[in-house]
Amino acid sequence: MTDAASTHSPGSGPTGPRSYMPSLQQRQRLRRWRAAKDWCGKGTIAIFGIGVIVTLVLMFVYLFSETAPIFGSAEMEAVGRYDAPGADGAPTLHTAMERYRQVAVRFTDDARAVFFYPTTGEVISEEVLNRPEGVNVTDFATGEARSRLVGYGLDDGTAIFLRHDYDISYPGGERQIAPKITYPEGNGEPLDVFAEEGYALDVIGVQRGGLGTAIIAANNEHEQLRVVLFKEDEDFLTGDVTVERQVYEMPWPEEGVEVTQILMNTTMRNLFVGGADGRLHYYDISNRRNPRLVASERAIQGGDAEVTAMDFLLGAVSIIAGGSDGSVSQWFLARNEQGERRLTQIRSFEPHGAPVTSIGPEHARKGFATAAADGTVQLHHATSDRTLARLNLGDEIEVDSVSMAPRQNGMLIVGEDGGFRYLDVRNPHPEISFSALWQKVWYEGRNNPDYVWQSSSATQEFEPKFSMVPLTVGTLKAAFYAMLFAAPLAILAAIYSAYFMAPRMRTVTKPTIEIMEALPTVILGFLAGLWAAPYFENNLPAIFSILLLTPISFIVAAWLWTRVIPAGVSGRVPAGWEGALLIPVVLAVGWFAVSMSPLLEVWFFGGDMRQWLTDQGITYDQRNALVVGMAMGFAVIPTIYSISEDAIFNVPKHLTQGALALGATPWQAVVTVVLLTASPGIFSAVMIGFGRAVGETMIVLMATGNSPVVNFNIFEGMRTLSANIAVEMPEAAVGGTHYRILFLAALVLFLMTFVLNTIAEVVRHRLRKKYSSL
Amino acid sequence: MSETETRDTATHAVSSNRGRSGGQRQLNIRNEDICVEIDQLKLWYGNDQALNGIDMKIPRQRVTAFIGPSGCGKSTLLRCMNRMNDLIDNCRVEGAIRIDGQEIYDRSVDIPELRRRVGMVFQKPNPFPKSIYENVAYGLRLQGVKKRRILDEVVEKSLRRAALWGEVKDRLSENAFGLSGGQQQRLVIARAIAIEPEVLLLDEPASALDPLATLKIEELIFELKKHYTIAIVTHNMQQAARVSDYTAYLYLGELMEFNDTDTLFTNPSKKATEDYITGRHG
Repeated sequence: MTDAASTHSPGSGPTGPRSYMPSLQQRQRLRRWRAAKDWCGKGTIAIFGIGVIVTLVLMFVYLFSETAPIFGSAEMEAVGRYDAPGADGAPTLHTAMERYRQVAVRFTDDARAVFFYPTTGEVISEEVLNRPEGVNVTDFATGEARSRLVGYGLDDGTAIFLRHDYDISYPGGERQIAPKITYPEGNGEPLDVFAEEGYALDVIGVQRGGLGTAIIAANNEHEQLRVVLFKEDEDFLTGDVTVERQVYEMPWPEEGVEVTQILMNTTMRNLFVGGADGRLHYYDISNRRNPRLVASERAIQGGDAEVTAMDFLLGAVSIIAGGSDGSVSQWFLARNEQGERRLTQIRSFEPHGAPVTSIGPEHARKGFATAAADGTVQLHHATSDRTLARLNLGDEIEVDSVSMAPRQNGMLIVGEDGGFRYLDVRNPHPEISFSALWQKVWYEGRNNPDYVWQSSSATQEFEPKFSMVPLTVGTLKAAFYAMLFAAPLAILAAIYSAYFMAPRMRTVTKPTIEIMEALPTVILGFLAGLWAAPYFENNLPAIFSILLLTPISFIVAAWLWTRVIPAGVSGRVPAGWEGALLIPVVLAVGWFAVSMSPLLEVWFFGGDMRQWLTDQGITYDQRNALVVGMAMGFAVIPTIYSISEDAIFNVPKHLTQGALALGATPWQAVVTVVLLTASPGIFSAVMIGFGRAVGETMIVLMATGNSPVVNFNIFEGMRTLSANIAVEMPEAAVGGTHYRILFLAALVLFLMTFVLNTIAEVVRHRLRKKYSSL
Repeated sequence: MSETETRDTATHAVSSNRGRSGGQRQLNIRNEDICVEIDQLKLWYGNDQALNGIDMKIPRQRVTAFIGPSGCGKSTLLRCMNRMNDLIDNCRVEGAIRIDGQEIYDRSVDIPELRRRVGMVFQKPNPFPKSIYENVAYGLRLQGVKKRRILDEVVEKSLRRAALWGEVKDRLSENAFGLSGGQQQRLVIARAIAIEPEVLLLDEPASALDPLATLKIEELIFELKKHYTIAIVTHNMQQAARVSDYTAYLYLGELMEFNDTDTLFTNPSKKATEDYITGRHG
């Protein structure tokens, strides 16, 4: 480009004075070399710059892709359609599958159990139950889904209950499943319920628990409701098995009410009866000899509405009630304001357009399928309040029965035409919805909707509680208390060392504070959790008096120094070194506070401040926000200090001099000019400190107690998003809902810091524009 | 190109000033009311002595210029008068400066109050990152004045006195950085005179400005000396000749010559002074 110019350079002129410039060729070579270096430098910087952005985007994309599936809905795909296996024309009352979905069973109206292949409908075997000649089946019931218990009610007042069982063997490494029928009590002979009276069992319920197997039967004509408990007793000498029968009479819900549904929970303490009046009646039968009808609640609205289907969810705590108006609602016992246990409607789901005919609960989750008379089948989940999938069989075929496979990956639907439909279900993450994550959820067994994080438990019936709110609040709480401690200290320290401190003292102080950054946070967390937390608990008055007395003592010391100490003495300390004089003051205050602590406790807090707090109704955890605030504050002080110190130190000297030259005291100059000009830097220092506190893991992991509570009490702990990921990631099954939720937590954390930093940067730019001094 | 322009303006300014003040040019330090008295002032930055026993008297309501080559200590001397040198580490002062007979290096002196009495304007305009209004009101607010009415009045008066009012009266709430360099410097002067100082120290106030702005500042100085005692440091000999009544020539920390400006420039008593003002030195 500049070749023309360079040929005229004095070096090449033959007549000019002797030049020390390199020759034209040398300079051209050098120029090419420099251009190459420029080009390389530019390219490298660009590559690394773009690389950083790409990495960030990829991180985001990865987190998002791991998280996204939990918001997907379910898929149902029909894989088999056939006529009722056994081709007998008898209506199907109930179907079930074993866990591998190799074998299914069908219970018919004429008291037969037909085992078949669910994919093809081909019959494997058939068992005819021991039903006396001429006796008809009046009702059919199932126990809790996992117990595989079913019961037939007969019109002669007897009942049969049985389990469908599967023997699994692996001959030659291949899985073989042999279905069979077993009888939990007795040998299959019909058992007496209303046999003496000769009343038909119009409606029955069946449940198995620790006490044995219970049949609950109602006769609508005579308004009789009765619980009969069968228990097998084995004589330990002879080995003879006898079935013990206990009968408990229940009061009829209300005169004239027709009973349509009966459910009893597995502990056999609560009995729920659904009526043709559209109400649910709750009996407290913990004392079976003296049963109590506690209350009747309207479940289905409308005058002639009726509870048409009713079943327990996994764990037999929640009841799903389907009505003749197509409504689907969830109920369980919760204490009302008076402290009484009442059957309470928790939530309702998307209704069907026709009476609900069947409910198929999932075996390992709080999900269920509902089917209605208009041929629609819906898949719901209770906790997340979601309806995940919908299917229409078409032609308004009434669905008689719907049942879920034990691993909730298949579904059997039986229509009124006797046709079987076998479906593959893909429904991996029904537990999650926006409301389940961010809103109050009424969990089973609780008296109120609440924000709860409880991802796992020892029992299988457990309802996972995935509220992000406690974790987010915990994160903010930890960061808030850390900033409460760190920001004033760090900013004031920065003002002092940048503006008032002698330069030589500053060269020692600044690197010392900055090197604190290098302190591994695991050590801080360890000290906070194992030393500070118990120490604080035992010396609470000392901690508070230190927090209170230190600033006061500084002011008193400053007053003494400037007003009381003679000028001859105070003049000996060079300007800017006065800060060092406060070191003994701090030590003295610390010593004083610690030694006064027991006395303060005796004088004001009845000898134990921790107990005193508890008596005041303030919960005190040993590992609490106070400890975390200080420990994490300690970790973020270097960040905030370093950045704001630089910002204050870099305020142009001509501005401070201008202020001082106008008669400002040094303090006035700081407040009115220096802080104003340094405000963008100080602001970003605080935000970066906050971002660090939000993402900090080790300290909160070790010193918070990790209890996911939603409050801002300084004496209680918290669980943060980051600590939660660290704690639970090792125990989460890869690809499971819990696993993905942890990724969601990471995403939330990522977004939080991202948003914080973006806001910080935007505000900083604005401030800088406003207060830039050049 | 800009050089010629400077020269043109400078000639113009000189002639106009002369025209105005020609009649009363018979100045003699012995007849003057003395405002600042400097007595054997010595100053060290660490081990380097920057001022070597300065003795001089600065008359009231006159413009006193300090000239001399770079590093001769003229700015240092200026900064001694409002103790801005205190901010520099390892700076040690001996001797005395009396303003209205009061020793300013006495321990009992309240430095902020001293600086209020002795205002200072720096080489580079240094408005605060605030509005024009707040810049001018800054000194008063420091003194605890809160009444809007008083502030309004003082801001207007100071801006008028600094010949800036007409240019900024409609945008008092705008950021002071929006002003041009010359306007900023006049704003800074308005800020300084808002707190009614007795002495105004100007440390090369026009060296960062273009010729037109320089002219305005010089005219302003001429106006301001009716109210204030002004000490100005400048590198520009013509400027010193144009604006000042008295001129002090400093060299290597010593006061070489101090006389009324006409005498110093037309008939310097020392060879060194003559060399400097004629451009043979420095």
